[in-house]
Amino acid sequence: MTKPPAITTAEKKTATGSEALLDINSIGISFGGLKAVQNFSLQLPAAGLFGLIGPNGAGKTTIFNLLTGVYEPDSGEIHLASRRLFNCRPHEITAAGIARTFQNIRLFPDLSVLDNVRLAGQLHNRHGLLSTLLRTRGYRFEEHLLQERAFNLLEIFDLQDRAHELASNLSYGHQRKLEIVRALATNPQVLLLDEPAAGLNPQEKKLLALSIQQIRDRFQVAVLLIEHDMPLVMEICEQIIVLDHGMTICRGTPREVQNDERVIAAYLGSGLSDG
Amino acid sequence: MTRTPDSRRNNGSASHAEVTASASDSQSGFVGNTLMGLMPFAVGIVLASLLHFVLPHVIPGRAGPYYSRIVTDIGIAIIMAVSLNIVNGMTGQFSIGHAGFMTLGGYMAAFMSYYGSMYLWGSAETHGGFLGTGELLFVMSCISGGLLAAGAGYVVGLPSLRLRGDYLAIVTLGFGEIIRVILQQTGKVIDNAQALKTGGLSQMIPPPVGGALGFDDVPKYTNLFWVYTILTVTLVVAYRLKRSGLGRAMISVREDEIAAQAMGVNIARQKVLAFVIAAFFAGVAGGLFAHERGVILSPKDAGFQRSFDYVIMTVLGGRGSITGVMLAAGLLTALPEFLREFEQYRLIVYALLLIIMMLVRPQGLLGIHEIWDLWPRRRSTSLPSSTVATSATSSPEAR
Repeated sequence: MTKPPAITTAEKKTATGSEALLDINSIGISFGGLKAVQNFSLQLPAAGLFGLIGPNGAGKTTIFNLLTGVYEPDSGEIHLASRRLFNCRPHEITAAGIARTFQNIRLFPDLSVLDNVRLAGQLHNRHGLLSTLLRTRGYRFEEHLLQERAFNLLEIFDLQDRAHELASNLSYGHQRKLEIVRALATNPQVLLLDEPAAGLNPQEKKLLALSIQQIRDRFQVAVLLIEHDMPLVMEICEQIIVLDHGMTICRGTPREVQNDERVIAAYLGSGLSDG
Repeated sequence: MTRTPDSRRNNGSASHAEVTASASDSQSGFVGNTLMGLMPFAVGIVLASLLHFVLPHVIPGRAGPYYSRIVTDIGIAIIMAVSLNIVNGMTGQFSIGHAGFMTLGGYMAAFMSYYGSMYLWGSAETHGGFLGTGELLFVMSCISGGLLAAGAGYVVGLPSLRLRGDYLAIVTLGFGEIIRVILQQTGKVIDNAQALKTGGLSQMIPPPVGGALGFDDVPKYTNLFWVYTILTVTLVVAYRLKRSGLGRAMISVREDEIAAQAMGVNIARQKVLAFVIAAFFAGVAGGLFAHERGVILSPKDAGFQRSFDYVIMTVLGGRGSITGVMLAAGLLTALPEFLREFEQYRLIVYALLLIIMMLVRPQGLLGIHEIWDLWPRRRSTSLPSSTVATSATSSPEAR
């Protein structure tokens, strides 16, 4: 396995101008006899905002797990910025530029808010054990820069006042927010949000919709969103992919999806329309 | 592992290089900063020598050596407990084979210093005075003991990549027992320098370290100075590790492995690193133990009973709390000495203590905090922001 050539920012732009940033080509996985995901394809352009919806158990989170290296797909290929992600472990995929949040919040409860963000921000740090233990100048600079970046991020999301609190002491809404901040701290090209609106009140959902769009614009990340809250998805997503039983049953703009018979059948059942 | 990240890593290091370059132009306090990095070691060595030279005079007469022995034991126990805490407390892997690493390192160190002395000076007596050649050999032996233990730590760390919780505990428990059984099968100690020099290499297989009878007559080099110097190193390493990115990564593995991976932490590397570092210090502590006056190194030291003593110290101290574990190690080592009459009840007291702790304070004495976190006013200054403040002020254009 050779190392892929380094891509500069300028090259990255031209590369993404012509083709998708995240190119998923008919991936599939089965657990025993259960085909959890079949033939799933997606071309996510740079700074695109796509939604992934479907009834419970449709395989949405499984797709996230495939993308982030938790599972290895049985078939198909995943390319990120023209580079194939193959046989990568989760931390390597994060380093390559795909970050995610979790459906059930998975912060580090006994680390401070700041440390949660710093941990995510340090993945490209290069100082090892020896310079850490001797506290060399280079190491201290790296930590200093890391800390500054973390504070900047927290400020953007208005969490800087809570920086030194334990993550477990934050309110539920703030924990959801911190999950997004933490994922952004890894400096991703693609951000996978797994039900970020779950458990939020209508007011918070509105703010979330706004901030997802702002995140996309400000950090220039492509966003793939799993969400059950239809108004939210319909409002902000450019393209929506609908899954049912591991199969893609529909894809298109929010309007197209809303009027698609198969989608309505998947959500409401097809008994009435058949009869 | 071969595929490592791409563009942004390069960008990141490039911008980093710029920053350091621009900083070095302006930074005049560089020498000062480097010295500051070594400062804790210097302070520790000064304190260790003070302890070494002053303590025997404070407590005169026949009680002196007795108290020195207790203080030495406390030092070794703290090294063991603090290093175990890197695995059990910070990284959240449950290891109950720490005495195995200690005994392995101890035997290695004793082997080197015993046969080294025999070979160099013809007898296994201590040689040279304070900081003399004998002590040099002793320190080198301890470090090799640590290195051997670190190697074993790497091997034991590997199963921790696949095993969790109780299952990992059983592997580490088994490791301690394996060390014990292997040491029982070793050969008789060679106590004649002439025989050693003429005997050739074949007498080293199996290693002549005493078998089940124990390794007697190891030169007794261990003193307060060396114990507390090495204790200083252990504490500085543990503390700096905890406050660093590596420590954060270890704690993240403890908190949530799946999230840690998703945030780019190589959990396999962190776990093995924790085991290797902890085993190294256990091995060095074993070297100190082996050369302590009044100790006959024996295979049963590797058994689970001793391992449990250290686990209890870390549980009692609080997971990841260095000062808490120090406190617990000190208490649990000193207490039995002052309760000599009730020695046979020691294990009962331990068990009761643990049960009471679980009911009253399940997070340990200090929980996840350090002792200075208990004063709220000092808390803001002890936060890591202060550690980088010096480098920030000395190079304003780095911002």
